[in-house]
Amino acid sequence: MMSETLRQSLDLSIFWEYRATLAVGLLQNLYIFLASASLAMALALVISLSRLSGKMWLRAISTCYVELFRNTPEFVLLIWVYYVLPILLSRLLSTQFSLTAFVASVLGLGFAYSGFLSETIRAGIQSVPRGHIEAGVSLGMRERTILRRIVLPQALRRMLPEALSQLVSLFKATSIVSLVAVPDIMYQVSMVNVDQMQPLPLYTGAALLFCLVIITATQMIQILSDRWRRRGWA
Amino acid sequence: MLDNFNRFVIPNIDLLAQGLWVTVRICTIAFAMAVVIGAIACLVRLYLPGLRIVAIAYIEISRATPILVQLLWVNYVWPELFGFPKTVEWAGIIALAIQSSGYLAETFRSGIEGLPRGQVEASLAVGMSRLQTFRRIVVPQVLLVMSPSIINQLAVVVKASTLVSVIAIPDLMYDALKIVNQWFEPIEVLTSVAALYILTIFLLSAIAKWVADHFREKYGLDAHV
Repeated sequence: MMSETLRQSLDLSIFWEYRATLAVGLLQNLYIFLASASLAMALALVISLSRLSGKMWLRAISTCYVELFRNTPEFVLLIWVYYVLPILLSRLLSTQFSLTAFVASVLGLGFAYSGFLSETIRAGIQSVPRGHIEAGVSLGMRERTILRRIVLPQALRRMLPEALSQLVSLFKATSIVSLVAVPDIMYQVSMVNVDQMQPLPLYTGAALLFCLVIITATQMIQILSDRWRRRGWA
Repeated sequence: MLDNFNRFVIPNIDLLAQGLWVTVRICTIAFAMAVVIGAIACLVRLYLPGLRIVAIAYIEISRATPILVQLLWVNYVWPELFGFPKTVEWAGIIALAIQSSGYLAETFRSGIEGLPRGQVEASLAVGMSRLQTFRRIVVPQVLLVMSPSIINQLAVVVKASTLVSVIAIPDLMYDALKIVNQWFEPIEVLTSVAALYILTIFLLSAIAKWVADHFREKYGLDAHV
């Protein structure tokens, strides 16, 4: 009995049968990942720089921002952006305003991970020795030039392993977009399941697929960061 | 807005309180289970070479699958495969426990591996048995050094627990969504619930940070956050 169900749950042929549909779903995950990762990176860079700025009010605002988004569950944020944000914006702008599930997902995940990423970037920037900045100043570089040519390149290398593992978490988190009906992989799996009533192979297959993607990604990051470390980068 | 708050949040406060209780219950049990399973996985990985590969596979798989996928997997596949869990609540608890146990196992491991080898050697040299060494020298220090990251993991559990509403466990998020779908007035309810979650998680992270700072000052330990 048990071995029969085990065989059933591991018989992934149904997964292969629906490969086209499921691949379309996985592609949605990838799109959402790319869009929200870009958004998160851009926001995180701005926030981390303002957390290190000399202006008190900028530091205060960005600290609140980081604490807010680091401590919000992704799912709550996603639901909030999807349900509440359009209404608030409509009232504020007094026009009809709506968000598609896709855009809401990108915004929700992008904001959520910008909090984590900005802390990573900040740590990277702070790890650049002060002497380098002073050297830049004494050479007569402008603040912007110092940031662009001395601080950011070094900070970027140092924070890469950590930032990449944050991005892996972001990819994992994209699975929740199915809950606001973005047709991602988990959404497709549940649709096929409604059709075929075979939850065992379908959900086991989905779990294994995520494992495969994530473990491959983390292994590659591991290999890359070891290589960078040997070169004295990270 | 305050008007709506009075209309949708205050009258449903009992329902939300019930949901909150379910959330608290799930998080507590799941976290306790995660600590135990995580400790076992870590010990097997470090001290039982024969089963090491099993422990590594368990830790890696539990960390590499998104919590939603695990939740659905445990909820749909386990009852047929193993005959339990019988209720959705236990399915949620097990999924949360599996997820966190993987992370905690790695936390414990880095704590144990971070101890200076000389300490273990010294305690063996003064005639303590391996078990005594582990109990008196290793465990207390690992718990001390790692307590901030253990507390942080509790915050992660609370965060992930918002998803158990998906398999129809009546937690705080589930009740909030129920009210929203009843009245189609999402702003006040969702914002209040979000604020409650954020506050709870912020508090847990703040405690973790405080503990880390405290230990650094008091024992000179470089506690991990």
